[in-house]
Amino acid sequence: MQIFHRATNTIAKASIYGALLLVGFILWACVQFQRSPYVTYAHVARPQPVPFSHEHHVGAIGIDCRYCHTSVENSNFAGIPPTKTCMNCHSEIWLGAGMLQPVRDSYATGKSLVWNRVDDLPDFVYFDHSIHINKGVGCNTCHGPVDRMPLMYNEGSLQMEWCLDCHRSPAKNLRPRDQVFNMRYEQPSTQKPLLYAGKVYTDQMALGADLVKQYHLRTVADITSCSTCHR
Amino acid sequence: MKDLTQVEPGEQKAPVMAPGHNYGTITDKISSIVLKKPVSKGWILGFLVCFVILQWMLYGITLLFFKGVGVWGVNIPIGWGFAIVNFVWWIGIGHAGTLISAILLLLRQSWRNSINRFAEAMTLFAVACAGMFPIFHLGRPWVFYWLFPYPNTMGYWPNFRSPLVWDVFAVSTYGTISLVFWYVGMIPDFATLREITDKKWIKYVYGMLALGWRNSARHWSRYETAYLLLAGLATPLVLSVHTVVSFDFAIGIVPGWHTTIFPPYFVAGAIYSGFAMVLVLAIPIRKFYHLEDFITARHIENSAMVMLATGWIVAYGYAFEAFMNWYGGDVYEGFVRFNRLHGPYAFWYLALLTCNLLIPQVLWFRRVRLNNFWLFMISMDILIGMWLERFVIVVVSLHRDFLNSSFGMYYPTQIDWAIFIGTLGFFTACMFLFMRLLPSISIFELRTLLPEAEAVVEAAQRTYAAGYRKIDAYSPFPIEELWEAIGFHKNGVAPVCLLGGLLGGTGAYLLQWWINTISYPVNIGGRPFHSWPAFIIVTFEMTILFGGLSAVFGMLVMNGLPQPYHPLFNVERFALATRDRFFIAIFASDAKYDLIETREFLQTLHPHSISEVPT
Repeated sequence: MQIFHRATNTIAKASIYGALLLVGFILWACVQFQRSPYVTYAHVARPQPVPFSHEHHVGAIGIDCRYCHTSVENSNFAGIPPTKTCMNCHSEIWLGAGMLQPVRDSYATGKSLVWNRVDDLPDFVYFDHSIHINKGVGCNTCHGPVDRMPLMYNEGSLQMEWCLDCHRSPAKNLRPRDQVFNMRYEQPSTQKPLLYAGKVYTDQMALGADLVKQYHLRTVADITSCSTCHR
Repeated sequence: MKDLTQVEPGEQKAPVMAPGHNYGTITDKISSIVLKKPVSKGWILGFLVCFVILQWMLYGITLLFFKGVGVWGVNIPIGWGFAIVNFVWWIGIGHAGTLISAILLLLRQSWRNSINRFAEAMTLFAVACAGMFPIFHLGRPWVFYWLFPYPNTMGYWPNFRSPLVWDVFAVSTYGTISLVFWYVGMIPDFATLREITDKKWIKYVYGMLALGWRNSARHWSRYETAYLLLAGLATPLVLSVHTVVSFDFAIGIVPGWHTTIFPPYFVAGAIYSGFAMVLVLAIPIRKFYHLEDFITARHIENSAMVMLATGWIVAYGYAFEAFMNWYGGDVYEGFVRFNRLHGPYAFWYLALLTCNLLIPQVLWFRRVRLNNFWLFMISMDILIGMWLERFVIVVVSLHRDFLNSSFGMYYPTQIDWAIFIGTLGFFTACMFLFMRLLPSISIFELRTLLPEAEAVVEAAQRTYAAGYRKIDAYSPFPIEELWEAIGFHKNGVAPVCLLGGLLGGTGAYLLQWWINTISYPVNIGGRPFHSWPAFIIVTFEMTILFGGLSAVFGMLVMNGLPQPYHPLFNVERFALATRDRFFIAIFASDAKYDLIETREFLQTLHPHSISEVPT
């Protein structure tokens, strides 16, 4: 007995291949979704008790990173400044600004400002700022153009593959130590060669390779080993 | 051909099928369970009881998901509790299904034809139960997909040198191939059910599932090749699965686990418990559905003898284990033997020996093998014994660590029991549904047990000899001579299967090599990055998986399926092709075709009827 219409043949085949395509698409979408800002919060500004602008303080005024993040060169933690650091200037300028009321309150009461952490690594990751700074990894290599961020956001995804990208090939991001805090540092190129230690570099990989040796970086096998970050 | 409804003179056994059946009665009897018989009170009651037990499992799982594995009794030193015991037990039970459907097919044991379908269903549900436990055991079950190699955000890959990862590949391949084997086996039977039922929506459902199967000789040819290839692939697969499960233990350095005899001993134990489960299911099923004609005393007795044989392999395993504990001279190994016999779990070790070694010896007596009640009880006893065996292996080996300071005891909690007993409910509930919704005995494979129809082969040969080339023949079961008669000699399924298998195997090996030497070479215990012996397992499993899937999908694609609409279905009598009649078709596109002449030719073949098929 004929149960199905003639068109069922086409529908049946199309639905099977369609289902395969759909499954493929869903898998692809999942892979993309895991890396999207919706999950990673990359480039998503977080609300803060005071809308502190790095763009203004770093880019316009030119305050050095270490003025506030004092422990970044010799500690695992870069350091969040105490309210006193703000008040060094703001006891003199912008006295009446309503925006700064929480800062003055904090100073008066002695209760810290509670900032929302932006670059927040999972607790099972051991991360040390000082080693990165001292081996020539620039602040903006990981944190992005902070001097152009009115409100702070994280530049990278902070996912493990993002860390590994550099740990597998550190040479591609290293710079001379005196350039680490330079927010507008440019990697050497034929247009903009870099003079370092009496040598002219026109290529990042050449510079990086020399810095790896000079700064005694551990081997790639060492810095991609599990227990380097998961201790 | 040998008539399987009779026994040979001097043969002390029941026939494979009771005499007096023909293609039609077989079809009616089996399909009536699904289509005609009303849902009995016993079925409803049984299903409800299982369903309630299943809720207990869901309760346990929910609690586990919210609270974590702390709801179980596992704690250091016994990190592997009921979850692993149940996993090994269930997956072992599954092995009998594949053994019956694949290995006995290759060995041409025709008695398998009446029990393979529900044994495969049993495999599938048992693997489903088994597969749950390692996932629950993960602690964070919702990220179970981390076990598979996919481009994840961690830039990291599973450790292919770990037996636990091999297990993932072995069990998931086993589950997939079992499912495909089961489904492919049912396609011709779905076509039969499609034609028998009167209810329209049921026709639609089985019609969809049958993919438009129309019993064409060409289709049968490819089908038989694909089925045989699947059996050939499933045979090493089923042996590999419990081997890999045993590696979970044997690769570890825990005394009581670190034993080279584990793989064969585990496989034998798996088949032992699997056949026990087959009997626990077959004995009541044949009684309640009056299937004694198809599942005869021969099937029951053969299964009992398989149990007796595998039971002795297991006994050899126990003996050898104990011997090596002594002969090896290792103090910790020696303690294993002492602790099993005299430690706090001695009662359970002795219970295991009683259940698995002592009691089943009554199977030497034919009267016991033929007594359904006692055979059922012995099968239950073996199932319990095999569960205890896994309990002894997992818990008793772990509870005495190397240092006295890390000695411990294992006390299963209520949730441990809820999840374990709940899976029994899940398994039986699935079996109840299966019995009602799907043909529980392979109809078309039973038809092959009857003497074959020679007439249609002769008719096909004469049609071919008359010069017709674009012809096809239709039969309710595969007849090798038939597709030879219509000039269909090469079906092309085997090369596709070979290609798929080679691609799968090479791909898996290259993937592991790339991951471990190029993408992320991680130093694990100082072993070489390219440690090929460790890559064998996954390479093997992927060869089987891709080979099997290629054979099946290649068969379907080359057969032009799914094709639910076909002009032949317009002929009313053609429905009988799925039951007990044979058809020859000459297509109008044939060079020699002429409406009148061809009709005259067909008359000379003395058919029951001739129909002109509108396109």
